[in-house]
Amino acid sequence: MLSNFQDQFASLTVGGLSLGFIYVLIALGYTMVYGVLRMINFANSEVFMYGTFATIIVIRDLFGFTQQSEPATGFRLVYILFLCLIASMLMSGILSIFLELVAYRRLRNRGSNKLAPLISAIGMSIVLAEFMRILTDSRYVGSPRVMEKKSLGTFFGAELRLDNVIIIVAGLILFVSLSQFVQRTRLGKAIRAVSMNEDAAKLMGVNLNFVVSGTFLVGGLMTGAAGFFYVLKYENTSFNIGFELGIAAFTAAILGGIGNIKGAFYGGIALGLLETYASFFLGTQWKAVTVFIVLVFVLYFRPNGVFGEAITQTRA
Amino acid sequence: MNERQYMKKQRLISVAAVIALAAGSAVAVAPASNAAAKTVTIAYQGPLTGEEAQVGIDELNGVKYAVKLFNAKNKGKFNVRIVEIDDQGSGTEAAKVAPGAASNKKILGIVGPAYSGATIASLPFYKQTNLPLISPSATRVSITDPAQGLIGFPVFHRIPVTDRVQGPALYKLATRGVSSPKVFVIDDQSPYGVGLVEYMKLGGATLAGQDSVPDKTTDWSATISKVKSASANVVIFTGYYAQAATLFRQLRDSGYTGVLAGGDGVLSPGILTLASASILEGVRLTGGTVPLAEISAKLEADFKAKMGVSSGTYAAESIDAANIFLSCISKGVNTRAAMLKCVKAYKGKSITGSALSFDKYGDTAGGVMNGFEIKGGAIKYTGAVK
Repeated sequence: MLSNFQDQFASLTVGGLSLGFIYVLIALGYTMVYGVLRMINFANSEVFMYGTFATIIVIRDLFGFTQQSEPATGFRLVYILFLCLIASMLMSGILSIFLELVAYRRLRNRGSNKLAPLISAIGMSIVLAEFMRILTDSRYVGSPRVMEKKSLGTFFGAELRLDNVIIIVAGLILFVSLSQFVQRTRLGKAIRAVSMNEDAAKLMGVNLNFVVSGTFLVGGLMTGAAGFFYVLKYENTSFNIGFELGIAAFTAAILGGIGNIKGAFYGGIALGLLETYASFFLGTQWKAVTVFIVLVFVLYFRPNGVFGEAITQTRA
Repeated sequence: MNERQYMKKQRLISVAAVIALAAGSAVAVAPASNAAAKTVTIAYQGPLTGEEAQVGIDELNGVKYAVKLFNAKNKGKFNVRIVEIDDQGSGTEAAKVAPGAASNKKILGIVGPAYSGATIASLPFYKQTNLPLISPSATRVSITDPAQGLIGFPVFHRIPVTDRVQGPALYKLATRGVSSPKVFVIDDQSPYGVGLVEYMKLGGATLAGQDSVPDKTTDWSATISKVKSASANVVIFTGYYAQAATLFRQLRDSGYTGVLAGGDGVLSPGILTLASASILEGVRLTGGTVPLAEISAKLEADFKAKMGVSSGTYAAESIDAANIFLSCISKGVNTRAAMLKCVKAYKGKSITGSALSFDKYGDTAGGVMNGFEIKGGAIKYTGAVK
């Protein structure tokens, strides 16, 4: 019984981690924008959803996979997965920039109050979701299997399935790359400067519009990567998939401290694990209750989340 | 009025027109084809868009087929039109569209609603306006159970048997041929899913484990761990097909090799587009329906020729429901009150050949639960579950 429990616990941890990394990447989309503009980009959940569709389009329409196709192997598999990742990231990145240009920039330049972009974001979220609903007839869209979900062995009794391993490893690489980007590159430094003090950054010659677009792009790219991982793991999507995952990732960002890259990382991982353990030990019906009790409890002691809200603290 | 005000007014009018058009699109009327004949209107209500759209479209095609045959047979005498009411299979949507259908006095009867939740949300409006309903697929027991407060009486009727029959039948089918079955049941927290499990237990099912999962769940790892902890060799999901596809796929990926089963919520060709044939191979399903092809190959061929598509789930029940209204129309019924009286007194034959009539509360007399299995990427009928 005990060994059975240990096996399950290890398996749950692997599953929870891979779900957690999907949350991390979406949470980064929220947190980057918040860090710079102090604005919650509610349409980020739809940016994610469009990323999932981009992946399925590449698999289904570019490579012609169907539900009856044999999964790809070897170099061809790597090539397809890489293209899917790029397509998904580009779709979400470009959509993010577009959102900023269309829905937020004018409001920001006109010096609107803080609520106007919030409503604009909710509006864009609804527009994007409804547009996809019409395109897909409100139906779930299944992704053909492109990769055999092989087991790479076991680790403390947990099966290390290929898709979970890819998500965890690639998610970690993406997160570290983003941290380095924000820490070391010129644009990254500008993002941090604007995040610290917008007026001072402008006086120092930082091009605010460029930095904001760059922030939306980087956030969108991370969210798009999450879209690819989601399809790789769950092999389906639908127009309303962003809502639940968006709320979860937003919760993760708040838990870790929104505006803080490190916070998005630990918040996402914690939420993925917490959801999975709570579902197993208390019953799936208690998952949301447990997550939000923990969130309220954490915020009670740390009102700005575990790591506060400074984009300047990037190192995990 | 200056130019600016005028423009503003024009814009408001066009916005209002767009909104009116959008609202009207939920209740679209088929064009009349025979002006000389007496035009009579019936309606279909079910999910025509949304996740469950396949079910509604299949049922609507059944109704259209029956009406097409009737109109051809009664050319010059009657011209029956169908109003399409899209409730997306949800109670919330149904409560929005039902008042419009209820107040449309031309509608003498509705085939539907397809789903029980949508039925319960619609019923107050239809009861108020005495609008008769015959559902081809709403199977929740409470709608016709006098002990649970006459929810559907007197306007509601249905063709299939209820979940009181389906619950135990699903358990029986899922465990058939399995030596020492250990059954794990997962519901989707919907009244349908939870109810089906309750009736399964009332029917004497013994369960090795159970989970109740929100209907938007995509990550099943915790549930799968529970299935494994319980060493289950039979997993029954009492929800709908879109979720069933993700659950079944993740279960098989986790190495689970036992039986997979589901109720009539999973019985939809839609599931075949969401998971590969190898994952779905052997999935056992129940449903109160009988495929047209099983009734007769000729019937299915005729359906395909006239409708341009193969018949889907609940086609036979939809045709039966429409035929009852049509037989009343042919007797000259032209008010809702007369239609209700006629439906209640109806004694005829189903296209399956069995006798068809309703009891006092609207349940069909007789009726069986059928079994299905997914084989080679297609849903195959395996006979009645006895």
